[in-house]
Amino acid sequence: MLKILRTEWLKIRNYWAFWLVMLMTAAAYPGVNYLFWHEYQDLTKRKDAGQVVKFLLGNPFELPETFHTTAFFSSIFVFIPAIVIIMLITNEYTYKTSRQNIIDGWSRNNFLIGKFFNVLIISLLVSILFTVVSVVVGKVATAKEVADPWSQSKYIWLFALQTFAQLSIAFLVGFLIRRSFIALGVFVFYYIILENAAVGISKVKKLHFGEYLPLEISDKMIPPPAFFGRLDEATYKTNLAAIDRHVLYTVILTALVWAICYIVNKKRDL
Amino acid sequence: MAVLQLQQVEKSYGRIKALNGVSFEVPEGSVYGILGPNGSGKTTLLSIILDVLKADKGDYKWFGEPGSPAIRKKIGSLLETPNFYHYLSGANNLRVTQSISERGTKNSIDEVLQKVKLAERKNSRFSSYSLGMKQRLAIGAALLGNPRVLVLDEPTNGLDPVGIAEMRELIKDLHRQGHTIIMASHLLDEVEKVCTHVAILKTGNLITHGAVDEVLVDEDIIEIGAEDDELLTKVLMEFAGYTQMKKDGNYFHLYFEKGTAKPEEINAFCFSKGLTLSHLVFRKQRLEAKFFELTGN
Repeated sequence: MLKILRTEWLKIRNYWAFWLVMLMTAAAYPGVNYLFWHEYQDLTKRKDAGQVVKFLLGNPFELPETFHTTAFFSSIFVFIPAIVIIMLITNEYTYKTSRQNIIDGWSRNNFLIGKFFNVLIISLLVSILFTVVSVVVGKVATAKEVADPWSQSKYIWLFALQTFAQLSIAFLVGFLIRRSFIALGVFVFYYIILENAAVGISKVKKLHFGEYLPLEISDKMIPPPAFFGRLDEATYKTNLAAIDRHVLYTVILTALVWAICYIVNKKRDL
Repeated sequence: MAVLQLQQVEKSYGRIKALNGVSFEVPEGSVYGILGPNGSGKTTLLSIILDVLKADKGDYKWFGEPGSPAIRKKIGSLLETPNFYHYLSGANNLRVTQSISERGTKNSIDEVLQKVKLAERKNSRFSSYSLGMKQRLAIGAALLGNPRVLVLDEPTNGLDPVGIAEMRELIKDLHRQGHTIIMASHLLDEVEKVCTHVAILKTGNLITHGAVDEVLVDEDIIEIGAEDDELLTKVLMEFAGYTQMKKDGNYFHLYFEKGTAKPEEINAFCFSKGLTLSHLVFRKQRLEAKFFELTGN
């Protein structure tokens, strides 16, 4: 296993495009949360409506609520590390190095395990980054002593699971399509437009298929933060109650994604 | 002991039969050439024995065992085009190869880069290499750790004449050291110069296989020349024992069944008819001619 990890490290160690996108990821998570926090501060400092906004929203960036809020905002940007995942797998087919790895002595499973580790480690790095951002934002935004600042830290592992699940889907797209630009196009189009449109239609038509779409399944694990509850308490409570169910769905879907990868990898010609 | 045994290997792409029940054995220490026109199934065959493609039927064995990752690690291979990470340097690409194959030591990378004359460009990105340099790096990767068996698909592709000559010498040298080399090529001259054994494929069918001398020499050819062409033609018409006679440039070629040609008898017969020969050579059939004859091209 360590040898596989070492080989994957040798592949990316000097890959500048990988580090560039990772740098973009590293900048995006603190950036987006800072932006929302800054916006919140601007709104609450306004003389005319500041107190009203504060009354309506509370302080979503205060500990422990910050874990939920930053998880929700950060999850929007999973498509950035997804670019890395798609790049790493499609490169193997573009340069035909996937077949060379097999010729040189890897089994097909070794190859897939290497890629699984890529997804897992990038998910972990993103989750660690998210945790650091959450804690920093929470510390800065919390004025008073909080009794249990980690009470909502479950959103750390929910965010980690969501990231891993969605990056696994990105991997599957790259793995099946094999061509970088087409795979990136398909994933980004689906991520940004198609699924959101389908979820929107399902809500308008009061059909429930939307919540079972591949990305929405894991999106539902991190519902909109608490301040949405002040606007529509019933929906907020329903969303919170659905978290555990969606954790199960996400685990099943992710297992299915890797099972598809395993079967295809085993059978297809390289 | 056979290094590689193929038994009734079949592979189809849709309705196209790429390999049709191919069976042969590669003896240890041989340089085994796999010949065939484009589309004959050479690369498909090599892809199957390297587990890149799955055979529909039949099987193959390396050293008497079914193919496996552990066995592939012991084999230095170059299949079709050189496949490397374009953004990595030559040396870093070989580190990836070494990490997977576990062949050789840290120093082996510098040694093979010296051998394939890429030491000065070892830190340049693979994407900046010329076609010949890419091919040399692929050969370097196959040579990592000095494997006992090499599988080379068109090893001289992209090499300049000097590179081709060096490649030929390298193969001969490896053969002298006892390595087994399996190479697919369409360069008949190359195969004739370096191979000890040959298998000829045509549209997925194995036409013939065996030691080069056995495959090529299934008939004797005697090349004859004299000052008086007209008289030579007349005398040769009276001579019995050959299967056919052809005129090729200034000389006549007489074809005999294998082992029946006796140049001294022809010389004596011509002399008895008052004709002095100016040219008399016992010839082996060229691989090129044999190849065209067998493949019907």
